[in-house]
Amino acid sequence: MAGVAAPASAARVGWRPDTASLACGAVLAVVVFGVVYPVLLVVIQSFQTALPGQPARYGLDGWRAALAEPALRSSLWNTLTVTFVRQLLSLPLAVAIAWLLARTDLPGRRWLEFAFWAAFFLPPLTVTLSWILLLDPEYGLVNTALAALPFVGKGPFDIYSFWGIVWVHVITGSLTVKVILLTPAFRNMNASFEEASRVAGAGTLRTAWRVTVPVMAPVIFSVLLLGTMVSLQTFEVEQVLGTPFRFFVFSTTIYDLLVTRVPRYDAATALAVLILLAMLPLIVAQQWATRGRRYTTVTGQFQNRVITLGAWRWPALAAMLAVVAVVLGVPIVFALVGTMMKLFGFFNVPEPWTLDNWKTVLGDDLFASALRNTVVLAVGTALAAVLLHSLIAYIAVRTRYAGRRLLDFISWLPFTVPGVILGLALLWLFLGTPLLRPLYGTTALLVIAGLISGMPLGVQIIKSGLMQLGGELEEASRIAGASWWTTYRRIVLRLMAPTLLAVGMITFVGAARNIANVALLSTTANRPLAILQLDYIAQKKLEEASVIACIIMFISLAGALAAHVLGVRGKVG
Amino acid sequence: MAVDRASLEVRRGEVFTLLGPSGCGKTTTLRLVAGLERPDGGEIILRGRVVASVPRRVWVPPNRRNLGMVFQSYAIWPHMTVFDNVAYPLSLRGLGRAAIAERVARVLDLVGLAGMEARAATLLSGGQMQRLALCRALVYEPDLLLLDEPFSNLDAKLREQMRLELRLLQRRLGVTVLFVTHDQIEALSLSDRIAVMQRGRVEQVGPPRSLYEAPASAFVRDFLGSTVVLRGRVSAVDGSGVRVALNGALDGRALTGRSVAAAALSPGADVHLAIRPEDVEVDGAAGDALAGVIETLLFVGDRYEARVALGGAQRIILLLPRTREWKEGQAIALGFPPAAVSVWPA
Repeated sequence: MAGVAAPASAARVGWRPDTASLACGAVLAVVVFGVVYPVLLVVIQSFQTALPGQPARYGLDGWRAALAEPALRSSLWNTLTVTFVRQLLSLPLAVAIAWLLARTDLPGRRWLEFAFWAAFFLPPLTVTLSWILLLDPEYGLVNTALAALPFVGKGPFDIYSFWGIVWVHVITGSLTVKVILLTPAFRNMNASFEEASRVAGAGTLRTAWRVTVPVMAPVIFSVLLLGTMVSLQTFEVEQVLGTPFRFFVFSTTIYDLLVTRVPRYDAATALAVLILLAMLPLIVAQQWATRGRRYTTVTGQFQNRVITLGAWRWPALAAMLAVVAVVLGVPIVFALVGTMMKLFGFFNVPEPWTLDNWKTVLGDDLFASALRNTVVLAVGTALAAVLLHSLIAYIAVRTRYAGRRLLDFISWLPFTVPGVILGLALLWLFLGTPLLRPLYGTTALLVIAGLISGMPLGVQIIKSGLMQLGGELEEASRIAGASWWTTYRRIVLRLMAPTLLAVGMITFVGAARNIANVALLSTTANRPLAILQLDYIAQKKLEEASVIACIIMFISLAGALAAHVLGVRGKVG
Repeated sequence: MAVDRASLEVRRGEVFTLLGPSGCGKTTTLRLVAGLERPDGGEIILRGRVVASVPRRVWVPPNRRNLGMVFQSYAIWPHMTVFDNVAYPLSLRGLGRAAIAERVARVLDLVGLAGMEARAATLLSGGQMQRLALCRALVYEPDLLLLDEPFSNLDAKLREQMRLELRLLQRRLGVTVLFVTHDQIEALSLSDRIAVMQRGRVEQVGPPRSLYEAPASAFVRDFLGSTVVLRGRVSAVDGSGVRVALNGALDGRALTGRSVAAAALSPGADVHLAIRPEDVEVDGAAGDALAGVIETLLFVGDRYEARVALGGAQRIILLLPRTREWKEGQAIALGFPPAAVSVWPA
């Protein structure tokens, strides 16, 4: 009754009814327009040397300036050294922490892991302001405390320095993001690798060094690449800490070139193209590193026993608590402290405490509209991201659509363009496309910016969730008689719900604190909290800025808690 | 190219098995039938309906083929209860609530899962998950049931039990089954007919017993059960069989066997002699005999497994009955009944 007659050969086939093919094409078209086109605009603009408002003229002046001017070259050097030192310091520490959290019987390790999650969600600018309170060379609490000691003339620390910038980076992005990505990967490693090494006679540390870390090398490598990409992008920390001592990195140089009286788009975009070129090999390497990985669902077939730390339990816990205090405790406490100071950072004035800052900000009309804008922006971006990013991820992972690899690659591109430049490119895109011009000045524009800048992370998280899902669950539904759409609705979306909610939360938080992408796009009409904060800082109103920072921080922490409760931890890499 | 020039026909009501080593194309063939893969050539016809045909440009997606399938991982949906898993295909077919409940209850009862309707599917044991997967595939009475290595995730005892249950259930429902496995015991015990596959091609199709006793190729012979192989050269061919002078360590000895079908052997041809270990008669009188010495002896419960040296150098593995005492170093005479010895061109 069933006959298979002479098939010449067979190739794997996914779901490809023709409507699905059209849908895939539509998604690709949207992504090309929203991501590739702005990137192209950046490249073209780097050869456009005419001043704004004058007829276009093409030449290499911008490139010459970018490559020849000592200031620009020093920013290239600064970017590379900051990136390198950040990774060098944070990676070994992150590996050690992930190992302790995932592979040992460290007390309270679940809580500690959540602490790193929460710290990951802290806005970098808020953390920076908190550490200024402690490490300001003149008035920082740590410095004044140390200066009070005998034989110490002046406080030894200066946050407005290369090492100050590196310090803030390591404890904000660099360390926490690696910990939350590495810990689940370490946890899913088969314990028998370690057990075999222990039985062969190796001790705990030797096993960790000779077996666990090498086995995890591909994951560690991929997290390192991701971390490098993120750190080539940073903006806020250098903007606040580096500008006072004329220390510029790529992104702040670009910003500087753009916000002067005569913006130098050609040199700024030429610099951006340089970053883009530096990033492309990293993307390829990242895709190569994760290509051969097997994403097996944790089935409970092996129980992952953990290593007994013995006498080292409590020292390890103490060290871990110290790290958590630095990455989470200090920023939160001093973000609050800062809001209640008469003069931000000055602890030695008479009666330094006040609640006036809160009253001023909360009473400010600008605040009410900025808060409203932020809520609309964050919720809108989260909803749009869940829809678009899940579609991209699904096409890339599950279909045989011809353009799926291209789509996957494009989803990484927003990572390669500095946020400020991406904002600028979107500005050109919207002002240059008649149909979209009315969007300028609306929150929708900022939603689109957040959607694009959040794309790499959102798509990657959903992709790895889908890969862990296992194709047979969908195939079973198809065999049972369900169409592609019914399967997507009743099987895929239900099973992916926690991941999608988490991506929504992450995007929500990202949009709430996004500065780099929207700095050039926002007007007084659509200005969100994050930009209001930047404006306060620019006006040297650090007290008001700290109140906004504190509010954004609590929004972020609420997001972290929600994402955690929804039960999905970082699964990228 | 995973499958090439494989032409198969499954008869209504039979259990048809695709058997072969991993990578032989059996799973691809199954997935082609299911509609989970798309062929580059050829066609697939289901109950007279063309469901995939490259020359005729026909392609029926899996959801419109009315097939049932049990996956290797079972693919039980973790966000649904036992009841919901089984009810899903019925609700897709537009059945009413009462009809669904009645049919789900009936099929669950059939496999001994009655009363577990409300349980979360993730709380089931491996054997229960497999029964549930079977229920989900059978509840809508598919035209063909596809089984993709369904027993490979079960332990040995449970595997035997499920094998028996599946055979009984299939007999009772009369459902046609296309079964994929790499396990020869599963294939031999469950199938009405077996297709042995290798490197994307079908080597031989037939009932289990004829495949075992009259394999058409050395691959089928060695894949289905174990074989003792000796080398030699044909010395004479007559009505009683082929007389073969053995080579190597057994130089000077000769055995008689029957030539495999279609192999025209003439004196002087190099040949292989093959016999199933259980057909070798230990200390028996029948036919030609060779002298051997037991080198190692393993007691495996119901019998002994012995490595026996023939003529000092050639070693073969034999099964010895538990009813006698054996010891290492013991000399034994091995009888090779001509009817059980097959002669293959080398």
